[in-house]
Amino acid sequence: MVTFGSMSFLGDPLFNILGPIAGDTESPESLKIIEAAKAEYHLDKSVPEQWGRWAWDFVRGDFGVQFSTTGQPPVSDLIKERLPRTLELMFIAQLFALGLAIPWAVTSAARANSRIDKGLTMTSFAAISLPSFATAVLLYYVFSVKLDWLPDTYNAIDPFWGFSHDHRLIQLILPALTLGIGAAAQYARLLRTDMITTLREDFILMAKSKGVPRKRVLYIHALRSSLFSLITLLAINVGFMIGGSIVVESFFRIPGIGLAIIEAVLRDDFPVVLAIVMLVSCGFMVLNYLADILYSVLDPRIRNTEQGQQKKVTIL
Amino acid sequence: MSVNKDEILRNEVNESSEVAEAGAEAAKKTLGFGFWLCAVWLFVISMFAILAPVLPLKDPGENFVQYEEQENPLTKKLEEQPTIPPYSPSSEHWFGTDQDARDIFSRTIYGARISLAVGGLTTLFGLLIGGSLGMLAGFLKGWIDKLVSGLFLLSLSFPGLVLTILIITILDRSLLTISLTFGILSIAPIGRLARAQTLTFSEREFVTAATTLGAKRSRILLRELFPNVLIPMITLAMVVVAISIVGEGTLAFLGLSVQGSSTWGKLILLGADISTLQTSPWVSFIPMSFLFLTVAAFNFMSDRLQDVFDTRSIYVTHD
Repeated sequence: MVTFGSMSFLGDPLFNILGPIAGDTESPESLKIIEAAKAEYHLDKSVPEQWGRWAWDFVRGDFGVQFSTTGQPPVSDLIKERLPRTLELMFIAQLFALGLAIPWAVTSAARANSRIDKGLTMTSFAAISLPSFATAVLLYYVFSVKLDWLPDTYNAIDPFWGFSHDHRLIQLILPALTLGIGAAAQYARLLRTDMITTLREDFILMAKSKGVPRKRVLYIHALRSSLFSLITLLAINVGFMIGGSIVVESFFRIPGIGLAIIEAVLRDDFPVVLAIVMLVSCGFMVLNYLADILYSVLDPRIRNTEQGQQKKVTIL
Repeated sequence: MSVNKDEILRNEVNESSEVAEAGAEAAKKTLGFGFWLCAVWLFVISMFAILAPVLPLKDPGENFVQYEEQENPLTKKLEEQPTIPPYSPSSEHWFGTDQDARDIFSRTIYGARISLAVGGLTTLFGLLIGGSLGMLAGFLKGWIDKLVSGLFLLSLSFPGLVLTILIITILDRSLLTISLTFGILSIAPIGRLARAQTLTFSEREFVTAATTLGAKRSRILLRELFPNVLIPMITLAMVVVAISIVGEGTLAFLGLSVQGSSTWGKLILLGADISTLQTSPWVSFIPMSFLFLTVAAFNFMSDRLQDVFDTRSIYVTHD
């Protein structure tokens, strides 16, 4: 609602729709066009009515038209086209993040306070301090420019599955790795502290003395009971990754919703910005809520305790 | 923004506060060499940024085209010909020049002015508003507390970067707007910390003693509670500085930051196209290292302070 109210501060959107005609209020012909356009885009109505119409349409999945010369394609079509690409990217990124973070944290926790642990902790610290756009440039430089292992272009049309430079699966590796490394460092930090706590518990000692192999103790027994808070962070992080994917998409030129919002901002195309912000915010809130519920549902140890009810992961 | 993730991480860390304590004991509760190294780095970089117009730096906008004697293919004579920038690092240009033959070192220093200004303004704003709102909420309790906590929660339920993009679309892309937007976003994390701290300390004996002795409420708030809330707030503020520098860099990298200025993010972007990376990676790597070192220094100092003052446990929320 706040977002829509602020729309009236924007420049006259008619300029974007009609071009130079919008400024010409003298001649009766162009006045007629302006009136027609205003009626078409509901710009002649009051702001609350505009908001009401927009919100009702938004709920029904119709996000209105773009402020462009033709208004085509409608915003909902644009999002329908681009959202899957962003979701693909984020899914692969999460796989990378987990694939990196779990061995990282387990190795670290297994030898807490050793040299390896300290080295890995410093690495995760560095990875957190390196902003995603810097990671993107670094990875691009190493893998694409210097080693030439991975493609530097993104092609939206080509088939997804396949292992040559023309397939999207390969083209998505670098962008996904960029998003994944930052997330992996955070996951690893969280999982490490949880693992260290778990490894002190009696059932680990029991498993060890039964003669369960060390790797099995670490990856099966200890990991399973350390994963609860990671899963909640994962849910929250999907929301944050949308922010990161804006950067990555704009650097690697992936036409997802991240690039769409940047293009729309630079064009002053407000309906597109608004629709994406609302969509992302709604997704973000739902995920946060899910994370809240997940945390208490997943971990049977805290489900019923009073402490458990107080100590939900609060979204700070 | 990632304030939130850090907070969550800290909440989790607290679950194994034994581990954190063991770590702090191992470090013998000193700030350590690394802390002072970071402090020196930050001091040097901010002095450079503040004094940039006075220092004998090269003009960041000037094109230092270099000439070289070359044979003119038409006249077959040796003539002074301009060589094609970017030039690699030399004694003349410590960090080389960019594609327009501009000095990278002085551009990076001038870029630091805006990056650091955004970081500083944001944090100042967040500390002033967030800190006082949080302390008042924690001290007065009742409906004020409910209202303020509700507002904090509301502001945290939006993804930061997306919200910032929306705001700068509606308003403008000036230094002040961007800093204020980040500042408003940083109110809630700082405020929640201040509130939690105030709630904890207002139940301590020394506050009861002061109340019994007839101290005024303003005195209790300022002289008894404020010093105790300040140190954890400073540790968080350092993280906020780091995050807002990164945030500004991100906006600049997207081409949405302060118009007409070259901040670190913009400098990195300018050197990040494929041909420049192939021939002259320093164009984007120099500002990148400055950015990384600065952000890492703030993060590291905050981390050390938390260890030494043992404020990690405070990050637990009281809801």
